[in-house]
Amino acid sequence: MTTELDLLQGTLDLLVLKTLTWGPMHGYAVARWIRETTDDELHVEEGALYTALHRMEKRGWIAAEWGVSENNRKARYYKLTAAGRRQLTGKAAAFERYAEAVFRVLRTA
Amino acid sequence: MAHKPPRRPRLFGVDRTPSGVQRAVDDELRFHFDMTMRELMAGGMNPEEARREAERRFGDVALVRDHLAHIDRQRVGQEKRAEWWSGFWHDLRYAMRGIRRQPGFASVIVVALALGIGANAAMFGIVDRLLFRPPAFLISPERTHHLYFQRVRDGSVFTGNSAQYQRFLDISESATTTEVIGAFSTRRVAVGTGEDTRELTLGAMSASLWQLFNARPVIGRFFTADEDRDIGGANVVVLSYGYWQSKYAGSDSVLGKSMQIGPAAFTIIGVAPKGFAATQLLTPSAFLPIAVSAPQDFGEMWQRYRTTYNITWLEMFARGKPGVSVEALTADLTNAYRRSYDRQVAIQPRTTPIAIAQPRVVLYPVFEERGPEQSADTKVAKWLFGVALVVLLIACANVGNLLLGRALRRHREIAVRLALGVSRSRLARQLLTESLLLAVIGAAAGLFVAQWGGELLRATLMPQVEWESAIADRRILLFATVTALLAGLLAGLAPIFQSRRTDVAVALKAGAREGYAHRSLLRTSLLVLQAALSVILLVGAGLFVRSLQGVSAVDPGYDVDRIVWVEPRLRGAQLDSAQRKALRLALIERARQQPGVEDATVVLTVPFSGSYVDDIYLPGADSASKLGAFLTQGASTSYFITTGTRIIRGRSFTDEDRKGGPLVVVVSQSMARGLWPNQEAIGQCIKTSERTNPCRTVIGVAEDVKYGNFGDDWNLVYYLPEAQLGDNVYSLFVRARGNAANAVDGLRKSLQSMMPGAGYVVVKSLESVVAPSMRSWRLGATMFATFGLLALLLAALGLYGVIAHSVAQRTHEMGVRVALGASTRDVVALVMRESLRTVAVGVVLGVIAALVAGRWISPLLFEVSPRDPTVLAVVVVTLLAVALLASWIPALRAARVEPGVALRAD
Repeated sequence: MTTELDLLQGTLDLLVLKTLTWGPMHGYAVARWIRETTDDELHVEEGALYTALHRMEKRGWIAAEWGVSENNRKARYYKLTAAGRRQLTGKAAAFERYAEAVFRVLRTA
Repeated sequence: MAHKPPRRPRLFGVDRTPSGVQRAVDDELRFHFDMTMRELMAGGMNPEEARREAERRFGDVALVRDHLAHIDRQRVGQEKRAEWWSGFWHDLRYAMRGIRRQPGFASVIVVALALGIGANAAMFGIVDRLLFRPPAFLISPERTHHLYFQRVRDGSVFTGNSAQYQRFLDISESATTTEVIGAFSTRRVAVGTGEDTRELTLGAMSASLWQLFNARPVIGRFFTADEDRDIGGANVVVLSYGYWQSKYAGSDSVLGKSMQIGPAAFTIIGVAPKGFAATQLLTPSAFLPIAVSAPQDFGEMWQRYRTTYNITWLEMFARGKPGVSVEALTADLTNAYRRSYDRQVAIQPRTTPIAIAQPRVVLYPVFEERGPEQSADTKVAKWLFGVALVVLLIACANVGNLLLGRALRRHREIAVRLALGVSRSRLARQLLTESLLLAVIGAAAGLFVAQWGGELLRATLMPQVEWESAIADRRILLFATVTALLAGLLAGLAPIFQSRRTDVAVALKAGAREGYAHRSLLRTSLLVLQAALSVILLVGAGLFVRSLQGVSAVDPGYDVDRIVWVEPRLRGAQLDSAQRKALRLALIERARQQPGVEDATVVLTVPFSGSYVDDIYLPGADSASKLGAFLTQGASTSYFITTGTRIIRGRSFTDEDRKGGPLVVVVSQSMARGLWPNQEAIGQCIKTSERTNPCRTVIGVAEDVKYGNFGDDWNLVYYLPEAQLGDNVYSLFVRARGNAANAVDGLRKSLQSMMPGAGYVVVKSLESVVAPSMRSWRLGATMFATFGLLALLLAALGLYGVIAHSVAQRTHEMGVRVALGASTRDVVALVMRESLRTVAVGVVLGVIAALVAGRWISPLLFEVSPRDPTVLAVVVVTLLAVALLASWIPALRAARVEPGVALRAD
């Protein structure tokens, strides 16, 4: 990995919320999903990921529940709440506008 | 690649304790690390490498772990608060629905609580003012004290707050731990000139006393230490706010005006703020520098007041320096007092030696009512506050009983909800919310009661107090709120206890009737408690009513309602003894000519006011003083006609009993009996004042009179013809044809014009002098009776509610009885017997409690034993009668049960 992309403020939340649209999953699965989807391009520190999960749970964007994992172990599952879904829509739109603006600047000759 | 979560309801209980939160975080992280390591090891790493790589990917594990636990704890807190509020709103809505469904039930509860809380709030307002609240504007009440002086005299300890001016100067000079020492004294002084002259209560205070308060003058200024000097001081006066408003309509132009106070003119220099009463409960009309006003009041005697230790006439107050303990302050002031006492012994060698007197200072709160000498009014007020609390207790028992009754009716509903998994604590909270809601509504209504009743109470209890605060002030609101919460809690407890005892299985199996057919011990005990408390209050009411009857029935030995008391005050007019006598005779003559006046006389001793006491000697015998103190009354020939005091034997005074004639005396019946038991008093000889004086012959025996106090039997009174007495300060009694109060104004007008110079007359009905000494009983009787009736009403209400309920739930049983041939009478008797039994237990307990409590109340009673059998009998009969009445209607209803209907029900 030559350049490590530092995550911008709030981007991690966006990634996590988006990931959870696929269905409830535990923290390990979220981390793995992000890693695999981005081909490890985004270097997400897992500690920060868990912090984001718990913070969003506190804000009511996602809800957590203990369940049993595929290998029959007790695991904490997160799922999107209605509020979380609204957040995702809003944040995604904002991020797109933001990225667009940055690109426009970069593309100027 | 999402994992499909198992579709199962919550498998693991959620532990929301801090340690539980931490455990959950650890579990989650352990799962994460296990999974990561497993993945890495599947990729070929050994466990150690896998662990290191997992930790590298994660970041600072310890830091994140703490951070996660912190976030979760916050979230759990949020959740708990949200749940509490949603539960609270739910309970509140539930309670309100209950109230709307049964508005009658709710209003009975609200009225009961409103009466209880209202009575308490009103009484609290008064007791608060009397006992708890420091005087307005007082700086640091905790450091400010009222000085009491203690010394041993004739083997017993004597404590008093009265001090001499010289003592005040001595202690002020030598105390080292005080910031301020002030002196205060109130007295009645004539203010104004001519017909406008009125006696007002004025406060004489040392200039230093202002420093105890952070009061600012409304206009003008207060006086200074330079103005408060007996030589070179200034005749200045500060008006009270109330007097400024009533006399000068609050005008700014009073400053600099002159005001005639006693014999001298004073200049108005300022007005004290509203509510300022210095150290007093009753606001004086104005405040004067003590060293300036006292010499004018006392005239030539001032030198003795100023320099000797003979005359005590002022009170002292001190504020300690910050940080000085009460013990240290007491020790310092005691030292100063002893030093002053040494000076006293040096000047006046007859003073009790310091080793025997052991003088010391005792500190009390500023208000006199909180010191060792409480007035009867305050004692009664304290009792009434206690009584109000008992009324509240009864109201709570009542409300608890009503709520309990309803909880029993909802027995099955509660059982069902318990079976559905509603926790008992949740249920308890719901019941509590309900009773609290009712209590809060009750408190709001109670404040209206307090507002209305408070005015009444203030007017009857403390008519002369200037109440500067609204009745519903902050402290009273606070008090009412706290009371309401406690009442709600107390009333809510009963149904909660009951719900705890609910056995789900039994309740569900039983039909509607068995569901609550068992008699509730709790309900019965509450009923017993109510009955007992009502008995106590009613006994109290009865005792005070009897006291009042007793006091009213006392024949004082003179016609209180017919007599007008006239005090001529010379105020600086210089008259010799003969001129004074002439003035008296002229006043009597003028009074007699007034329409509506029957007769007039001079008097020396005025009942309930001042009295002259003198020694009596019998020839051959020692002093007669072992019988007690003898009261001297100086009288004109018209005395006995004017006062209505009857001559039992012998004769009254005539014009023959003049100066230079044979010396004569009339004695009271008790005195005759005491001095000459089994002998004829008439013709006996007594010597007054000195053993060496000549004999006075007893010419008549008069009926006993009450002069000092309705309670005591101090009846050793002898009457001397004024003509044969030396010069004295006499006043006049005038006998009116009708009620004395109607004659007062006319007499003042006509007699005032006879007074020489700045002299004036003080005219009032004797009734107004005597009445205050009856007030504590009148008050006790009225208030106890009011509260007692309230209690009786509540008890009747409670009883009715419980009996009616118990009859309703036994409809089935009654139906069976009627079907088996029981007559209406049998059923009525059955129901009434049971209710009477309950009440009888309460009555017995109440009577026992009343007998025990009687010991403390007896000092407040008048010639009534606290165990007065009549009172007890009347109360017992009343309560049983009320119980009969309250159970009569439900009993009849029970007897009219149609057996068919009752048996088919449920």
